[in-house]
Amino acid sequence: MERAIIVERLVKNFEVTERNAGFWEALGSLIKPKKKTVEALKDVSFSVSEGEFIGLIGPNGAGKTTILKILSGILFPTHGFVQVMGYTPWERKESYLKTISMVMGQKNQLWWDLPATDTFELNRRIYDIPDRTYQKNLRELVNLLGVEKYVKRQVRRLSLGQRMRLELVAALIHKPKVVFLDEPTIGLDVIAQKKLRDFIKKYNREHKATIILTSHNMDDVIELCRRVIVINEGEIVFDGDLKDLIARHAKEKVIKFSVSSEIDTKKLAKVGRVGIAKYPYYELYVSRSVSKVAASELLSSFPVSDLTIEEEPINEIVGKVFSSNA
Amino acid sequence: MRLWVKFFPRMHKYFKLYSVALRQEFAYRANFLTSRLRNLFQIFLVFYLWSSVFSQEQDFFGYDRARILTYVFGILIVRSLVLTTRATEVAGEIARGDLTNYLVKPINYFYYWFNRDIAVKFLHLFFSFFEFLALFYILRPPFFIQTEPVAIIGFLLSLIIGIVLFYMIVFIAGLVPFWAPEASWGVQFVLIFVVTEFLSGALFPLDILPRQIMDILSFTPFPYLLFYPIKIYLGQIGLFGILKGAFVGFLWILILNFFMKKVWAAGIRVYRAEGR
Repeated sequence: MERAIIVERLVKNFEVTERNAGFWEALGSLIKPKKKTVEALKDVSFSVSEGEFIGLIGPNGAGKTTILKILSGILFPTHGFVQVMGYTPWERKESYLKTISMVMGQKNQLWWDLPATDTFELNRRIYDIPDRTYQKNLRELVNLLGVEKYVKRQVRRLSLGQRMRLELVAALIHKPKVVFLDEPTIGLDVIAQKKLRDFIKKYNREHKATIILTSHNMDDVIELCRRVIVINEGEIVFDGDLKDLIARHAKEKVIKFSVSSEIDTKKLAKVGRVGIAKYPYYELYVSRSVSKVAASELLSSFPVSDLTIEEEPINEIVGKVFSSNA
Repeated sequence: MRLWVKFFPRMHKYFKLYSVALRQEFAYRANFLTSRLRNLFQIFLVFYLWSSVFSQEQDFFGYDRARILTYVFGILIVRSLVLTTRATEVAGEIARGDLTNYLVKPINYFYYWFNRDIAVKFLHLFFSFFEFLALFYILRPPFFIQTEPVAIIGFLLSLIIGIVLFYMIVFIAGLVPFWAPEASWGVQFVLIFVVTEFLSGALFPLDILPRQIMDILSFTPFPYLLFYPIKIYLGQIGLFGILKGAFVGFLWILILNFFMKKVWAAGIRVYRAEGR
């Protein structure tokens, strides 16, 4: 398959001025600011195939958003090579900007005081979308996202969930081949998150769009991305299948069970590592190889009423990935 | 239409912007109306000031009563065309990181705000026309009506130059937050409210200033914002003066354009896209 995105030895440094609190410090920094270089990205390389959906995960300040901003042409890199669909992003060629889109969960492009349809219309002109294509795209997006009712309402009067879906319509009305999603589900309730994810999945599949997603919401990543890139302190610490990440770092399984009468948690600690212990519900972490043995021991020695063996939560695994490389 | 698009291939994108920008203004009716009201008060103030001067004098620095009052009324219209701009928001958008929204789109940020401005200017012109009629009715000033075609064409030309110049000044000032995000408001205040009001002729005709100061001023862009257009309308500047003014104004547009491109190119290199 064609490579849609190529990133080689990408480095991004930021100059920041630092000063202590207080008036004299402020005055001092006016005359002679203390400059410090922050390495946001250190030697990052990866590539993405056309139509691939990858998740970019990592703790706050790891450099995820910086990567997206460089790929979308907003930031200039300090050095390194980047190519997206054959373009150098920061040259911001018109034809490049027409093939991409960036959706930021915490930034809105919709005109706040007007109905969303005005923004759509404006985008139609900005992206030079022929009338018929525009009508078709609009109908399709609006139906898929279930937002027919809201397009004519003043944006400020909409809920966050409704607004976010309309933001997606505005961002995808030109049918971009490459989409950058930065925390698209932030602040949304579970149902709204689900709607958004279903839609994004469909968009990726039907348009063979290349999508990079950053999210702190592991549900987004699990449901949408087969491949993940884990980044920490400006470096890639894992790049591969989500399954492999889990297999490599998930050394444990979780046994979740309820009991019919109170039990001694000390006795429980002999079987495995106790997670939650709130009568009548318990969670016990045991090593993968012995999970079945541990479960049967629980069943025989405690008044268990209900029991399941599950994979370790992915955010805990990711937490381990960070700590093992820090 | 076709031909037009050929010569301005990127301009057709901005047509839709007019209606959206106008509706945006209407969403903030109160805001718009207060700005009109402020303009009105200012006219009243300046009008009575000059009226009282002329109650004793017949001639004041070469202005008779009709001309000075036409000057004052001319300011009303020319102001709403030249000194109204939404480009003051550029600074905020850069400081807050909202510029990001535009950078990821195939749109020229400079033209974007310029076109939004044109839309807003039409709205202001529309309102100032009625205000003009109302004020005229209330104050009944002697008014000088220009009939000379050269002066009228010169007036329109100088208006366009004034509009472009002021927009560029405000836009360039709006780029300062690339380097100093906190400075946005201060720079605008000094530049727009203080310097421009004073040096453009909004408060008094500039030629009542000493000759040397006027000579120096005529090399800056400021007199070409309000003072020149109105003087041309009043027929106090001949063909040579009109052409000279147009030349200097145009030169400033070229200089500012060059400067603006350099500053913009440097600015987006250091832009952090903060505020997520």
